[in-house]
Amino acid sequence: MIVADPKPFGQVKGYVENFEKILIVGCGTCTTVCLVGGETEVRMLASGLRIAFGREGQNKSILEANVQRQCDEEFILPVLNRVADEGIDAVVTLACGVGVNFFADRLGNVPIFPGVNTTFYGAVAEPGLWVEMCAGCGECMTAHTGGICPIARCSKHLLNGPCGGSEKGKCEVDPARIDCVWQLIYDRLKALGRLEELRNLIAPKDWRTASDGGVRRTIRENLYKLK
Amino acid sequence: MDKESPQISERGLVPTCSAACPVHTDTREYVQRLSRGDYEGALDVLLEVNPFPSVCGRICHHPCESECRRKAIDSAVSLRMLKRFVVESTKEYRAARRKKPAESKTGAVAVIGSGPSGLTAALDLALLGYRVRVYEKDSRLGGMLAHAIPRYRLPVEALAEDIEDILAAGVEARTGCEVGRDITFDDLRKENDAILIAIGLSESQSLPIPGIGSHGVFSGITFLWDIANGMIPEVGDRVLVIGGGNVAIDIARAAKRLGPSKVYMACLEKRVEMPAWKWEVEEAEQEGIEILNSWGPEEILEKKGKVTGIEFKRCVNVFDEQGRFSPRYDESVTTGVEVDSVILAIGQRADLGCIVQTPVAAERGRLLCDRTSMTTSERGVFACGEVMTGPGSAIQAIAAGHDAAKVIADFLETGEILKLDNRTVQSIGELPAATAALAKRFERIEVDLADPVERIRGFTPIEPGYSEAEALAESRRCLACATGAYLESPVDCAGCLTCVRVCPFGVARVERTAIMPARECQTCGLCAAECPAAGIALSRFATNGMRETLKAILARSDGAKIARPFVVSYCCLNETASRKFLREQTEEEIQESGILRVMIPCVSRLSTVDLLSPFELGVDKIAVIACKEDGCFYPGAEELLARRISRVKKFLNEIGVGQDSLQLFKTDGSAEESWPGIWKEIRSAAADTTTRGERVHGGDSR
Repeated sequence: MIVADPKPFGQVKGYVENFEKILIVGCGTCTTVCLVGGETEVRMLASGLRIAFGREGQNKSILEANVQRQCDEEFILPVLNRVADEGIDAVVTLACGVGVNFFADRLGNVPIFPGVNTTFYGAVAEPGLWVEMCAGCGECMTAHTGGICPIARCSKHLLNGPCGGSEKGKCEVDPARIDCVWQLIYDRLKALGRLEELRNLIAPKDWRTASDGGVRRTIRENLYKLK
Repeated sequence: MDKESPQISERGLVPTCSAACPVHTDTREYVQRLSRGDYEGALDVLLEVNPFPSVCGRICHHPCESECRRKAIDSAVSLRMLKRFVVESTKEYRAARRKKPAESKTGAVAVIGSGPSGLTAALDLALLGYRVRVYEKDSRLGGMLAHAIPRYRLPVEALAEDIEDILAAGVEARTGCEVGRDITFDDLRKENDAILIAIGLSESQSLPIPGIGSHGVFSGITFLWDIANGMIPEVGDRVLVIGGGNVAIDIARAAKRLGPSKVYMACLEKRVEMPAWKWEVEEAEQEGIEILNSWGPEEILEKKGKVTGIEFKRCVNVFDEQGRFSPRYDESVTTGVEVDSVILAIGQRADLGCIVQTPVAAERGRLLCDRTSMTTSERGVFACGEVMTGPGSAIQAIAAGHDAAKVIADFLETGEILKLDNRTVQSIGELPAATAALAKRFERIEVDLADPVERIRGFTPIEPGYSEAEALAESRRCLACATGAYLESPVDCAGCLTCVRVCPFGVARVERTAIMPARECQTCGLCAAECPAAGIALSRFATNGMRETLKAILARSDGAKIARPFVVSYCCLNETASRKFLREQTEEEIQESGILRVMIPCVSRLSTVDLLSPFELGVDKIAVIACKEDGCFYPGAEELLARRISRVKKFLNEIGVGQDSLQLFKTDGSAEESWPGIWKEIRSAAADTTTRGERVHGGDSR
């Protein structure tokens, strides 16, 4: 899932301080699960803005909405209609960056602002702790590394073993919190009886499948351009 | 009546307490109302289905308690005592709420007998608007309640309260009027459209053994009847009661109060088989009554016509393989007891004098009737209560009275005979052991009966009622079964597992969306408070609703007149020991004190939004007053609340309100002692609007 963190309140407030009718829109998928962008957070941010502006004597209209998923037009359509019908001046989304963009492409002359910082694709390592697990590079190579991604989980994205900063299984970038992924890969392959595979060098990665190839898109023929 | 939304009832399931009650009292509802200080509302719930709450508060055998799901955790909630507290706390209200039915219908009904069954039916029919007249051969109404239940268990006043209510609804009563003697059955038929025979089982069975006619042998019911009417039977110094049921216990204990040096009970059954309630047997023994089990009476010994003793033979088996009463004896094992009086309590029968020489059929001393339609052999003549069902409890008789009224009302309306539905109720079932094992134990509040030595000196009631503080504390032991969490809108659920992670009872799970099975949910509300989708609702005290609640309260009040700083105080309702803080505040009170109380059964169910939104409404500070240290019913709730408050405090810094505007307190002692000091403290502290907390980048900020 996509993981995000809340933006500092002051930053969000700054984005919208010149607008009068502001709609906060939550997303019911990834950012709900990582506890930063669901209905509860919408209510909290909206309440915070009302209080903060109210204390400055500004009586702004802070409205709330929530959609199942901000990355599908069908789901956001009611919000788009509402923006038009109710004369909303600005929108703040608590979805990941996808939601911000998706709305921005469809909102015409109404500005949209992010309420969260999208951080990574990750998983719940333990309740309340999300850890990065995937970098979305476009060509998964974990088949060679025991299922453990050296792109996402190595601070240097090294493909053929650890650097000199690996000490006692930890990464020098932050030894207290980051494991050296190559230690993890070594241990995993050893447990799988596949340690020999580490002798096969991985060729330099073609980063065009990642962001270096320009804006990525993908097509499912069964639905694309369906009349 | 606006009740908490019991989602389980909507699915045809009811809590075990209500399912077990013959009249299906909404036990959970009245106990919850009591716990919130709404004693009057609790009485309304009781009176919905039971016209004898005062009586039942004293003597009901409380099947509700026997089935209470809390037994899986520690012990049942003391429901009968709570009922008694409700009726004893609402006497004025009860008198004021009495009213006669608005409309009257064509149709007259005669009810023969004024026991709980007959009077219940009479009340139901009167409330429907029919003219109802009750014929009672005795001088007082109440049947066995008035005459056969000793005063130490059921004071006269308790019965009188219930009967006054019934008469106030328009039921006419003719006491001292025996049908068949003072008025003929035929006359009743001519004057009425329906007759209800509710004569109970008012006579004791006799025993075909030698010596039964001796002086010193008493019929049990007559014995109790005489005591109740101030005609004290002359018993000897050693008394033996034959029988092992509840009536036998009442007789033995009543006899003990007349001063004999020794009272025995002898019965066929083994101790574990005795039909008397276990607690009554224990109380009898505390009073010095000796119980002789597994003995069958063979002969009452007499000298010059006066009882001198009784001979017994060993009873080896009371019931046959099919469970039918069929005692077998070992004649070679016998014993004798020297006594001066013998009282028979081996069963009761009906006095069918009212239907002698009428077409209403009886067979071998029993009225012929059909339980499913409450009918007798005669069209328009119905029956209910013990004369139909055999010996039973007061609450069973009340249930039968309701049935009879239903059938009679239908008969009067349509001329048809209604067949009653199968009355089985699907209950929620026992609390699963795995859930119970995770719940905290809170022992039941017991009252001490009077000292046995004192008890046997007379017929003074032996059981004190609960104090208000005790009743409130005991009411909060109620698990409020099936009023917990449910997913309001499955489409909003992201399946994030937060509910699973915070549930202290291991109840919540996610199968695509969240599931909180009502059978297991302990109603703590933590999942609802933490749900990031705000998708979990609670059947009572909904979380996330405080903004609207406060808005409604403040809409009634002139905000400008409220003393500053204005504090919203979220208070743990469970800590109150009186109604002082449970009563709704007046506008003036809020304005003068600058405190708006919001009472919640566990403040841990407050969401972050609940903790923030009052500031939108112009509130200066929020005091969250939790229970005493480790006093929470819900494991882990205190920590979750503390973390939630910590998070909101950080946010309050960010938005410029300041973290000190929200404070968490613990109750110290009772609410009444502790809270005023807390309110004084929070109101006197200077408002801190500085943003002292460090801004958190990444992670938990908003």
